[in-house]
Order: sequence, then C-alpha cells, then structure tokens
Amino acid sequence: MGQDLAGIVLFTLAAAAASTAWILVPGLLLAWLLTSHRLRGRAVLETLVTLPLVLPPTAVGLILLLLLGRGGPLGGWLHETFGLDVAFTRGAVVIAGGIMALPLLVRTARGALEDVDPALLAVSRSLGRSSWATFVEVQLPLAWRGVLGGLVLAFSRALGEFGATIVVAGNIPGRTQTLALALFQRVQTGRDDEALVLAGMAAMLAFVALLLSQWLSARGDRSVGRRGTGVVGYPR
Amino acid sequence: MKDQPLLHLDVRADQAGFRLEVQASLGPAAAVLGPSGAGKTTLLEVLAGLRWAKGRIRLGDRVLQDSEEGVYLPPERRQLGYVPQEGALFPHLSVRRNLLFGRTSSLRTHRFQSPEERREFERLVEALDLGGLLERVPASLSGGERRRVALGRALLARPQLLLLDEPTTGLDGERARAARGLVQRLRDELEVPMLLVTHRPEEALALAHEVLLLEGGRVRACGPAEAVMRRPEVLASWPEWAGENQVRGRVLRHDVQAGTSTVQLDDGPTVSVPLIAGAEPGAEVVLGVGAEEVLIATDQPSGLSARNVLGAVIDELVTLGSVVYVRAGGWYARLTPAAVGELELETGRPIWLVIKTHSWRVVAL
Repeated sequence: MGQDLAGIVLFTLAAAAASTAWILVPGLLLAWLLTSHRLRGRAVLETLVTLPLVLPPTAVGLILLLLLGRGGPLGGWLHETFGLDVAFTRGAVVIAGGIMALPLLVRTARGALEDVDPALLAVSRSLGRSSWATFVEVQLPLAWRGVLGGLVLAFSRALGEFGATIVVAGNIPGRTQTLALALFQRVQTGRDDEALVLAGMAAMLAFVALLLSQWLSARGDRSVGRRGTGVVGYPR
Repeated sequence: MKDQPLLHLDVRADQAGFRLEVQASLGPAAAVLGPSGAGKTTLLEVLAGLRWAKGRIRLGDRVLQDSEEGVYLPPERRQLGYVPQEGALFPHLSVRRNLLFGRTSSLRTHRFQSPEERREFERLVEALDLGGLLERVPASLSGGERRRVALGRALLARPQLLLLDEPTTGLDGERARAARGLVQRLRDELEVPMLLVTHRPEEALALAHEVLLLEGGRVRACGPAEAVMRRPEVLASWPEWAGENQVRGRVLRHDVQAGTSTVQLDDGPTVSVPLIAGAEPGAEVVLGVGAEEVLIATDQPSGLSARNVLGAVIDELVTLGSVVYVRAGGWYARLTPAAVGELELETGRPIWLVIKTHSWRVVAL
C-alpha cells in the first residue's frame, strides 16, 4: 500500500496540476470576455461555463465520453488523424479535471478582473492601448492575486474530481486511478482502513490548497488598485 | 477672449432612463459646468469613446464619430488626454512608467526614441515639478502630486484635447488653488486645448473661456464664461454662488470715513461699494450683487439715497418658476411677474438699474 499510496498521491497531484495548467489561458480569456458588457450572448456563454458546477459530474463525464470516445466527433477525428485515443487514459483524467475546475477559475478571475478600477482601464484606453493591451498591461497585473486564488481553487477542485473522471477515464489502478477513485475502490472492496488513510491524505491536500487560496484572496483585498482603496472613485 | 471652435458635438446617449443630449461647439478652453447628476461625466465618457452614444463628434478636422456615416473611433484612436477624478494612476507602475504609459516605445525599452522625446519628457517633469517623484509608486503620493502625474501622463501622449474631470476634487483650499494655477499655466503657456468638467462655478470661471451649462442631461446655456456665469440658472443650482451679477473692475479710491470704496467697472461706469479693506487703488476686484438686490425704475430716478444708478436697455425676460429675471446691459434683476406687468417691462425698453452701496459683495480680490 505504501508505494501504491505514494504513486496515487503523486499522480493525483500531477493530474490536478496539469488540469489547472491547460485551463489557465482559456479560463483567463473566458473571464476577460465575460467582463465585457458589450459582448453578445454573454449570458449564454456564462451559463455554459458555469454548467459543470451544477450538472451531476457524471453527466459531464458522459458528455465528455461521447465527445472524446472513439465513436465521438472529437475522439474519432483524433484516432483517425493521429492514432490517438483519449478516453480511459491519463489524458482523459486531465481533461475531466480541467473542465470541472474551469467554472471556479473563470468566476474567481472574472471577479478579480472586474474589481480593477474601471477608471484605470479608461485611462489606458485613452492613452492609446487597445482593450486587449489594457487587459494584459493593466487589468491582469492588478488582478493577479485573484487569478492566482482562482487557480488554487481550480487545483483543489481537480484534486478531488470523481464523477466525471470515472465515466470518461475509468478507474484503472496504476493508470487513471486518482486518490478519489482509489478511495471509492477501497470502500467498494471493504478495505476501510486503507480508504481512511486515503481520505486523510485527500483532506490534507485540500486543506493546504484552500488555505493558500484564502490567504491569497485576503491579501488581494488589501492590495492597491482594487475598489474601496481610495485610489480613485470612478465617475458614474 | 474669443476662441475658434475646436470641438463640435451633437450627441445623444440613453442609459438607465437618463437621457443626455448635447449640441454645442466649444473652443480650446472650455468647461462643462453642472450640478451632480447633470450628466457631465457621461458627456466626457461619450467624448472619450468610453460610452456609446449616437450622433457626431468632430475635433478640429477629425471626425471622432458619426453614427450616420458609421464612423466610430475607439478610445485608443481619439487622441484625447483623459484625466479622471483624482488622477487614476496605475498603482502597479512607478511614477516614471505612469508618465511614459502613453509612449509605448519608451515604456517597453526604457529608452527615448529621439533626443527631442527625452527633452520633452524632461521639460514636462520640470514644469510639473515631478523630478523627485519619478521612482516613487502612486500609493506614496499626495493628492496634489497624483494629479500632477496624471496631467503629465496625459500630456506626454500628445493629446489633441485634454479632458479634465473635476481637477480639484478632494483637494483642500490651498492645494486646489495650486492645481488650478497649474491648469491655467498649461492653458496659457503651453496652449494645451482642454475641456474640463466641474460642479464649481468659480472653477469654470477661473479656468475656462467658454462654459457649457449642463443640467438634467440638457444644455441650459453655452457661451463666453462671464456671460454664462451670470445666468440665473447658475444661481438656481448654486445658491451659494456670489450672485447673478458679477463684474470686474479696478479700485479707484477709498473713502474710509464713509466706509466706501469707488470702483471703476471694466465696462464703463463707476460704482460705490462697501470699503474694500486690503485693496490698493488700482487693484483688480470682482464684485457681485444678487439679482434680488437690483431695483428697476422706468424713469430716471432722482432724490434717491442709493448711490448707483445705471442706465440700460432690456435684452431679455427670463421666467424661472415664479420669478422673472430681467436682463439688461449684462445685469440681472429679479422681479415678480406682477411687477413686470405693472411696469410694462419688455425687451428693448430702456430702464434704470438702482443698486444700494451695501448690496455689493466682493467676490475676489
């Protein structure tokens, strides 16, 4: 169990990290798009992004499986073009973790981006910066704590992902078995003492990650350039 | 001073039940004056391209937007130096990098493109007295310093028009005066075209040659500052404002015994006013008298105790609620509609204005 456990914990951490990494750029882009009030179909986009938060994770897993399975549009194309199979691989764990964590990153990052004083964005625009350059040079640097907090939150979510993962990646020991999946398997097979160790491990990891996220968002509230710091009162 | 029109506006914007509708042509030293909620900042944002509006905006020979032609320049292509209230400095950048933000090349390379560019930067740093602040961060600056940096940042981007939103909000008397002095210098010495937004009549008068009076999203008056500042509408919104009638003049002499001073008004007549202590003969003063203190006679009065009798012709009768303002020779007198009827006052009629010595107030020395 000892070596097993180490392997499972390492894989879980690596999978969560990879999940968080691949959603970073799309997540930030989505967050930025959602801060634009002029965007058409903003409500629809926002609903789509939030969906994984409220759907049963197994349903998300099923949708992913239909997409990524060999018979699915994406999976079929990948198989035929590159000979790649995604479903029931470690890649599927990473994809499922990322999709499930995406809403948390997008929502947190969006809040942080919106907290940046609009007067600063207005000045940046009038000084010749496009809205994209303003996002990169003003909004992101001022919102980085919130974005980081969102990443940690997303990481924590990916760490504990179960429902979507088991559907699209299966529960294959030594391949796609994460902490949560291993725990489920131990409980199913009556190895309660091992399950308890795994649960303790999971709790510890989640605790550290959440503490980090709390600490980041608390620091963020005090950092300059956010609302209520008296830097500027933006005119109506 | 007569300025050539620079900015031509014909815009309409609706937001949350508030309608802004402005048609005006303004010169290079103009102010938008209005009470809070008048739509001043909305107008600035429309100008800067930060808020959508229908209509046309032309700056010099450049069309910034024209909804009929389908032209709409984004904010970054309008070349307007927007200076929001209290400056809005980028908190994550040093003063130097804030200043150079409008100069993309300098910011990226920390190097000036040409010796002229460096000289321009140094000249501005000196003019705004920013030399000691360059490496500081905005959080460590005072309100006045922040505003100077914000002004410098806008100017270095070489705007065609500076947009100043309430340039002295949040500054105390002394600092507000310093900030005003700086804006005046930019206007007169560097000849920077500017449009400022303010809710303080004295600021509009001090900084602008032309004033657009905005209320409830509509233009109430627009024209030379002195004329607009005497409009009764200004007094209606700012009861504390020194009075409808403001005149500039020079002290001729004092009569200490009688407790009066004699002032030669810029537009001709001399008037007797309460003793102006602390003003040497020859000093410039601005005097004010409320419209309710100005009496009207239809025949030249004689045997009056009042010392100031001025002849004038009625230019306009302005009815505001239950009072009528009679404008004659640039003066305003406030009457009841009944009095206007009894005296048979109408446009073009010659009248005499009577003002008691002690009705005058000194607005500025």
